[in-house]
Amino acid sequence: MIDISPLARKQWERFRSIRRGYYSAVLLAFLLIVSCAAELLVNSRALIVSYEGNLYFPTYGRFLPGTTFGLSYEYETNYRDLARQFREDGSSNWVLLAPVPFDPLENDLLEGTYPPYAPSLTSGHLLGTDSTGRDIVARLLYGFRIAMGFALLLLACNYAIGIAVGCAMGYWGGAFDLLFQRLIEVWSNVPFLYVIMIIASVMVPNFWTLALVMVMFGWMSMTWYMRTSTYKEKSREYVQAARALGAGSTRIIARHILPNTVSVIVTFIPFSVASGITALTALDYLGFGLPPPTPSWGELLAQGTENLDHPWIVSSVVAAMVVVLLMVTYIGEAIREAFDPKQFSYYE
Amino acid sequence: MNRALKRTVAACLLALLAAGCAEPPPQTESESDLQRKPGTPPIRPGSLPETLPADLVWLTNDSDPIFASPQAKRGGTLRMWMLSFPLTLRRVGPDSNGGFAAYTRYVHMPLVAFHPQTGNPIPGVASHWAFGADGRTVYYRIDPDARWSDGVPVTADDVVFTLEFMRSKEIVAPWYNNQYTAEVIDIKRYDRYTVGVEGVSAKPHDELLATYQPQIVPAHFHELTKNWVREFNWLVEPSTGAYRIGEVRKGKYIQLERLDDWWANDRRFQKHRFNPDRVRVKVIRDLNVAFQHFMKGDIDTFQVVLPPLWHEKSKGPDFDKGYIARYWYYTRGVESPGGFFLNMDDPLLGNADVRLGIAHSMNFDYVNQTVLRGDYERLQTFNVGYGDYDNTQIRARGFDLKAADAHFARAGFTRRGPDGIRVRDTDGVRLSFQVSYGAPQHTERLVVLKEEAKKAGLELVLELKDGASAFKQLQEKKHQIGWMTWQGSGISPTYWEFFHSDNAHKAQTNNIVNFDDPEMDRLIDLFQASTSKPERVQLAHVIEQRLHDAGPFVPAFAVPYTREIAWRWMHLPERLGTRKTDLLFNPVDISQGLYSSGGLFWIDVDEKQRVREARDDGVVFDPVFIKNEDNRH
Repeated sequence: MIDISPLARKQWERFRSIRRGYYSAVLLAFLLIVSCAAELLVNSRALIVSYEGNLYFPTYGRFLPGTTFGLSYEYETNYRDLARQFREDGSSNWVLLAPVPFDPLENDLLEGTYPPYAPSLTSGHLLGTDSTGRDIVARLLYGFRIAMGFALLLLACNYAIGIAVGCAMGYWGGAFDLLFQRLIEVWSNVPFLYVIMIIASVMVPNFWTLALVMVMFGWMSMTWYMRTSTYKEKSREYVQAARALGAGSTRIIARHILPNTVSVIVTFIPFSVASGITALTALDYLGFGLPPPTPSWGELLAQGTENLDHPWIVSSVVAAMVVVLLMVTYIGEAIREAFDPKQFSYYE
Repeated sequence: MNRALKRTVAACLLALLAAGCAEPPPQTESESDLQRKPGTPPIRPGSLPETLPADLVWLTNDSDPIFASPQAKRGGTLRMWMLSFPLTLRRVGPDSNGGFAAYTRYVHMPLVAFHPQTGNPIPGVASHWAFGADGRTVYYRIDPDARWSDGVPVTADDVVFTLEFMRSKEIVAPWYNNQYTAEVIDIKRYDRYTVGVEGVSAKPHDELLATYQPQIVPAHFHELTKNWVREFNWLVEPSTGAYRIGEVRKGKYIQLERLDDWWANDRRFQKHRFNPDRVRVKVIRDLNVAFQHFMKGDIDTFQVVLPPLWHEKSKGPDFDKGYIARYWYYTRGVESPGGFFLNMDDPLLGNADVRLGIAHSMNFDYVNQTVLRGDYERLQTFNVGYGDYDNTQIRARGFDLKAADAHFARAGFTRRGPDGIRVRDTDGVRLSFQVSYGAPQHTERLVVLKEEAKKAGLELVLELKDGASAFKQLQEKKHQIGWMTWQGSGISPTYWEFFHSDNAHKAQTNNIVNFDDPEMDRLIDLFQASTSKPERVQLAHVIEQRLHDAGPFVPAFAVPYTREIAWRWMHLPERLGTRKTDLLFNPVDISQGLYSSGGLFWIDVDEKQRVREARDDGVVFDPVFIKNEDNRH
């Protein structure tokens, strides 16, 4: 049984009562779950194929060559064509395609016409395609998953380092504090974007190296807040009492100080997520982010601005970004208010 | 600007093209830095005779057909643009290899040029030339009328000074230092107008002219001091061509001015050429903005080779009403060899079957028919556009899954892994390669190739880098597969630097596939040593075939044409251009290699006024779209 303190319950009630933030949180959580199962919704691989009495589930398994279904080729089956063929044959075989039957990497190109293709119900590209004929819905959804995953990973790493260092600085103070303060000041003056550019020109960054570099330069901001709150809490009587009872530094920080500074941490989380998403998008937009052909919002945005004559590219990615960032901001606002000890304060 | 399209990393073909005419093509500084060769070889003693040999046969050319239009009118100002302002007006030295080099170099007339239709030598600053008995010496007789643009006569002393100049440390140009030491042994003055140039090795006559031709420098202008680079940075060097650099507004524009009394005005191959009185090259830092300037009529012509520029931007009322003409002109110029370069030192790529399987897995036709709008053609071999040297029997390998399967199976890749990518039967190694490239505009075509290659069970991992770093990686042979384009030039193919084992397995050479084959070395050595053109042609065909069989290079696309749009007042000769034209509205003489083909167009100043009025009044002309395929292969 999880023990929820009355204070936490009160904060949760407060958060729920702020509708905008609460529903944003629900929706974002839903989107996250959906994107985790993106393969079931947006995928060129079929969900189920019934062929000659056998059932196949290609989505998560190994690839099935065309020969599996009596086709002449040995590469991955084109399930859209297979579905069409089964329909035309009128056989008892059938294919259940994903709702959006396109892969974020595949180029759905038609000879004689040139991408980008406009949104269309007949082609199945609900938001159109990009300039190499890749479905925009697919790229948006998989891009969302990568961006969110990236932002959350960044959040976890930044906070783990930031909180640890910040608490230590505030708790021990003295020379340790002084040393780290100067260190952080120096480190935070390294121009982060240039570092990324230099790294991107020497080696092609992947998801992990990019995250590593961003963590290297992203952990500092949290330290200041944690240092201040720890300083404040440290001089409170309950910390003195714990120490008098013989508690060690680790126990005092983990059991006594941290729970009392949690509001600071929680308040910052949504904004950190937003900045994580925008950072990755910006890097991809500038061409220093994840290597092609990774689905990415920044890359879509770059394509969109280059192809303003084909407005569906830029409009869909801008709309998606606005919606997600707005939701994150609403959540942040609601959390901040829920954790505010002053029940009736006004923000101007 | 179109050239950006033609070359991923424009790197020049250096080793064979020496001295005079075949300097590296314009490119960005970082790339040219990479081209510098370490160290300059020692100067060898010359063996030119003390007096001019009596038995020399002096040659000239006054019979080949003229290629300029007699209808051409002089006058007007051609308005052009460039992406950035040059960092110097010097012809050599630091920063001199930028985009503006096309002008700083080609306001100078070469000693001898080549006829763009027949390929024969034609007189330039030298009216006659002769070949020494040793097969490696060329004698030039300078036209007595030839003048620098400041009125000083061109003499043999200028040619002799050129050697001193190009070898001097003061110019800070290692590439030129090296070329004028490694390729040219000596230059000697015989009288006021006659010089001899001694080269390193014997070659056929046209090759001798192309290779041992100093790029003459005005002796009276230069003073080789320690600070030459700085002192001469913005000084305008006198030129021998029809234009001299006139007004220079730093950061804004540079203007070329036509010499009214140019000494070659009435020469057979120069008459009716270089017609505009002025050429103003303005800085516009963005292609799309420049295009808007063109559409407003502030720029006279625009090159639109890129498919979106041609298909999507070059249309509208100004085109329909005939104010702007569209030209599509096929040429027989040298194609820049571009495609996949497979590093044969890689354990997998060392296997010929893997290389050939890869070649059969690349669906270039599909890319061309879809993302490139069917505008491009397949490049068939490494060297294309050298006339007889081309081996036209060879067809590049097409997308063929059966053939790919057979090759991969022979290399031991019969099974496919869970993701559809082949794995080697013995040890489970995946058939996956990193493709290094530096041209972000090529990502579109590469992602389609990548997706198509999956069908053959081949995985390509795309590695986009900054242009200079990508090129560096290739030069250091640290790649698996490189996607790049060399800049093609010269009058015959070059093999030694790309495929000779002398250049394999070491950094900073152009053999980026690490081709190392004794038979190929033997053929290339024969090719280099041969002085008979038929023999060289035959060897070139054999070399090209051997290269095709080994398959370290997968040729991609050829763009054997230029597409340009121009306002109605711009006029071209009846046939638009020559076989070697690579830019129809090229105001200076030479654009590619040594063929004299520029300056054929003219501006009708009266018509300009009329067209502008007609446009204001809504008067409609017949639309102009001319597609000339006379020179199509």
